[in-house]
Amino acid sequence: MNPSSWISKIRSCLNLFEQDIEIENLEKKWLYVATIMVGFFVIVMGIGALVLNVNPPSHWETIDSASLHLSSEFAEDKLGVQPMALPDGTIQVQLVAARYGFYPREIVVPADQKIQFRMATLDVLHGAHIPMTNMSTMIVPGHVSEVTTVFPKPGEYPLLCNEYCGMGHDHMWSKVTVLSQDEWAALKTGGKQP
Amino acid sequence: MKGILLAAICCLFNEAVMAEPSSLVAWTPDTLNRLKKGNAEHGKELSGTCAGCHNETNANPQLDGQLPTYIYKQLVDYKNGNRKDPTTAMNGLASTLSDQDMTDVSAWYGQQAPIQGKGGGNDTTGIVFKGDGKRMEPSCSSCHGYSGQGEKVDTPRLAGQKADYLEKTLLAYKSGVRGNDIYSRMRLIASKLSDQEIKQLADYYSKLD
Ligand code: HEC
Ligand code: HEC
Ligand SMILES: [Cu+2]
Repeated sequence: MNPSSWISKIRSCLNLFEQDIEIENLEKKWLYVATIMVGFFVIVMGIGALVLNVNPPSHWETIDSASLHLSSEFAEDKLGVQPMALPDGTIQVQLVAARYGFYPREIVVPADQKIQFRMATLDVLHGAHIPMTNMSTMIVPGHVSEVTTVFPKPGEYPLLCNEYCGMGHDHMWSKVTVLSQDEWAALKTGGKQP
Repeated sequence: MKGILLAAICCLFNEAVMAEPSSLVAWTPDTLNRLKKGNAEHGKELSGTCAGCHNETNANPQLDGQLPTYIYKQLVDYKNGNRKDPTTAMNGLASTLSDQDMTDVSAWYGQQAPIQGKGGGNDTTGIVFKGDGKRMEPSCSSCHGYSGQGEKVDTPRLAGQKADYLEKTLLAYKSGVRGNDIYSRMRLIASKLSDQEIKQLADYYSKLD
């Protein structure tokens, strides 16, 4: 299509608006309701972000994805739930996303305790999402994604990739088992009471 | 003071027990560019030594048409001891090759017409295209390609490879004897296959053309 025909297209559109279009009263009311709702949510989001400081996880840390397995943090034997909790009791979990799975493929973590996921990709863009929880983030090549969350409910959850990453994307999931605090304590002490 | 000393000792210890990575090869832009510029003519000269062992007649894997990145990675892994050839032939040989030699010979083999199976392959396991969700087993084709042709960067071509070799190397992944796959990607997959399935899969891929 050449530019002049584009211009005439746009003109005819503008003409349409200039005409007095009949709008039903009921339709008008709903237009107001919808506009007010949009405005309301924008304000809520604004307050959330600016006053309450509720923001999507944004963590700016770079890493060389190609040599991830040679890095000290994401070395093959350093992945998974870290044996030592952070000073504030947060449990740290290092995960690698690679076509087509999260490594290690299965992890066990406690409920009702802060879990900090640190994730990086070996190849392309992946997503990490645990349904029914608020754990969800993108894993961008060259960056470390960090998300901290608390799982309130024990159970078995899938950890899914939600960014299309290739032929095997559908198969890209791993297993997260959330234990109650009691079960977790029992696991740590080999079944004995602490 | 004591605390600091203890921490230092812990650190040292930590470093010492850190296991070897499965492979020292990293697909940095630098490595990939170097591989693209491999000198196939020089590679051809070098391949004279290889042909005695890598040919159609014996049980050793064929290299014709394999991904140069994959060949290069295996050679480096043999050289560093990350992959151990049970006959030790490859480890000895690779240690005599320079990085340039490995790049060049990979380029040469990558340019050859790919090996072909005789056709009639039939996947009796159902894992090639569908995988197995219950075992968290992705389909082989998602990584190795729809017709087993391999995928960049380092997922090898399987189509037409000798069945005995495929079976042997899958069993080696399964038992952990072969452990040069980064992040255990193939070891985890092979460890969930039965020996029977491994036989079936090896047969299937060897017949692909
Ligand atoms: C003395 C015999 C011998 C010679 C000579 C030899 N190879 Fe090998 N090669 C083997 C054997 C045996 C294996 C399989 C070992 C294993 O299972 O790990 C192998 C495996 C390989 C592999 C891995 C194949 C795969 O699909 O994973 C590559 C790559 C390779 N050789 C390249 C070469 C090159 C390049 C040369 C020449 C510079 C060469 N080889 C010379 C015996 C030999
Ligand atoms: C997650 C991706 C992925 C999936 C899925 C996968 N593979 Fe692999 N496979 C690889 C990679 C990567 C390598 C090379 C590893 C290395 O560097 O040694 C490999 C290597 C192999 C080799 C060694 C080839 C040789 O020449 O030595 C065989 C055989 C093999 N895979 C068979 C299979 C079979 C059968 C399946 C399905 C059950 C499968 N693979 C599924 C990624 C995958
Ligand atoms: Cu993915």
